[in-house]
Amino acid sequence: MSQHSVTRYPVSLQINGERYDVDVAPDTSLLDVLRDEFGLTGTKANCLEAECGVCTVLLDGKAVNACITLALQCQGRQILTIEGLAHGGELHPLQTAFIECGAVQCGYCIPGMILTAKSLLDTQPDPDEAAIREGLAGTLCRCTGYQKIVDAVAHAARQMNQQQSQIKTTTTGDRQ
Amino acid sequence: MSVQGFHIPQDVAETVALAARLGSEAYFIAGGTDLVIQMRRGRRKPGHLISLQALDGLKQIESGAGLVSLGALVTHKQIETAFAADPVLYGLVESAQVVGGNQVRHAGTIGGNICNASPAADLLPQLLTLDAEVVLTGGNGPRQAKLADFLLGPGRTTRSADELLTHIRFRRPAGKAATAFLKAGRRRAMEISVISVAACIGLSPDGRLEDVRLAVGAAAPMAYRAHDAEILLQGHKPDEDRLSRAGILAASAAVPISDVRASAEHRRRLVAALLPRAIRQCLLRIEKAAQ
Ligand SMILES: Cc1cc2nc3c(=O)[nH]c(=O)nc-3n(C[C@H](O)[C@H](O)[C@H](O)COP(=O)(O)OP(=O)(O)OC[C@H]3O[C@@H](n4cnc5c(N)ncnc54)[C@H](O)[C@@H]3O)c2cc1C
Ligand code: FES
Ligand code: FES
Repeated sequence: MSQHSVTRYPVSLQINGERYDVDVAPDTSLLDVLRDEFGLTGTKANCLEAECGVCTVLLDGKAVNACITLALQCQGRQILTIEGLAHGGELHPLQTAFIECGAVQCGYCIPGMILTAKSLLDTQPDPDEAAIREGLAGTLCRCTGYQKIVDAVAHAARQMNQQQSQIKTTTTGDRQ
Repeated sequence: MSVQGFHIPQDVAETVALAARLGSEAYFIAGGTDLVIQMRRGRRKPGHLISLQALDGLKQIESGAGLVSLGALVTHKQIETAFAADPVLYGLVESAQVVGGNQVRHAGTIGGNICNASPAADLLPQLLTLDAEVVLTGGNGPRQAKLADFLLGPGRTTRSADELLTHIRFRRPAGKAATAFLKAGRRRAMEISVISVAACIGLSPDGRLEDVRLAVGAAAPMAYRAHDAEILLQGHKPDEDRLSRAGILAASAAVPISDVRASAEHRRRLVAALLPRAIRQCLLRIEKAAQ
């Protein structure tokens, strides 16, 4: 069957806060759209069967495997990729923690790992080591042996919780 | 041949009408965690995909005092969260939380897990012990069936191509009751079950096993209820000897495969060992809840 006979459908995606419009085939994955259509190559490709997690992005705030998510399933939904994590040139606490803890070797798994971790910390702000390991289980790393990654996530959680409690004390302070 | 059509119906009626019009070439897609991989491998070749993404009414869990109703699009993660503090239904949490990694649990649904009908599908054993019923809507209107009757074999159910699974329902076990699910895989995460067992136990006021419902997964072409083991235990005190005899009975009903992950003999031994452990876990939960 020749390429041009495939029906393409328009889809509108909210990626990192911006709207992107594209026409895609029904079986085109979100991963292919991110990388090939929009050049967002921070999201990595490897097994293409949801086994390794390097393609992890957040869909409406929840970690999913972009390699088995169809682009058309994401119509009108919010997608966060690693490119959208830093704010105004300032790294996210998870990104800083990965650097400070030396949790990055070759780096290939890291975008997916950081977004997997973000999705975990967003629902469980203070996980213990077992919960962190369990939370990251869907994303594999060939290099680090995981300990430094787990340390980095724990470190980031502490930083984020501290920032949160500082915000709380200043707001209650203001009210007085 | 690639997929020609992608449809996003807005309600159940439209979904079912589309499915009837497009015929057996069309596949429903929920989370896609089974289907997309099967398409990649060339094992399924849908002409059309009917996406269930807009059917918000099927994404809810309704848990009243008596009846629990799960929409077919409820994800594994939702199940994990909804029953996290519920000793009676904690076995469902244990079932959902062993499915893949968090990414797969955010996308994968209970409806897909049931309709894909894998012998190793992890939600099935506990749902079987809960005597769950499935509710389907097709061209001829809605129908209800026992999950145990709905499942026919690997990849096979009584669902016709244009029938949409909308809900999964069961009666909440009453009185001193608890559930538990145990899975043996080769590693802790991201591994399909080598064997799994589920128990739903109700105790009489004098500590006898009054309501005993047991099921085994990944040990036969389809998850099954271990009826002989249930009968052996029914009405008796849960002493160690009887529990282990029940495990052996449940294992003898298994027709496991031998594959690279485990031999058939090893799988039988696992059933015999894990089933008593799941029952003891229920007893522990009942005891804790009473404190
Ligand atoms: C890496 C990985 C690990 C996994 N590990 C496990 C595991 O440990 N244990 C386990 O049990 N599963 C596991 N799975 C399988 C999978 O996640 C589940 O079976 C999931 O619940 C399927 O749901 P879905 O919504 O993704 O289904 P889909 O893939 O969307 O659909 C599956 C099938 O069901 C049909 N269908 C879906 N919803 C309906 C409906 N409402 N009505 C009628 N038909 C419907 C579809 O047409 C399709 O044929 C794993 C998958 C991956 C990718
Ligand atoms: S590339 Fe998506 S999980 Fe491996
Ligand atoms: S740092 Fe190399 S795979 Fe994780």
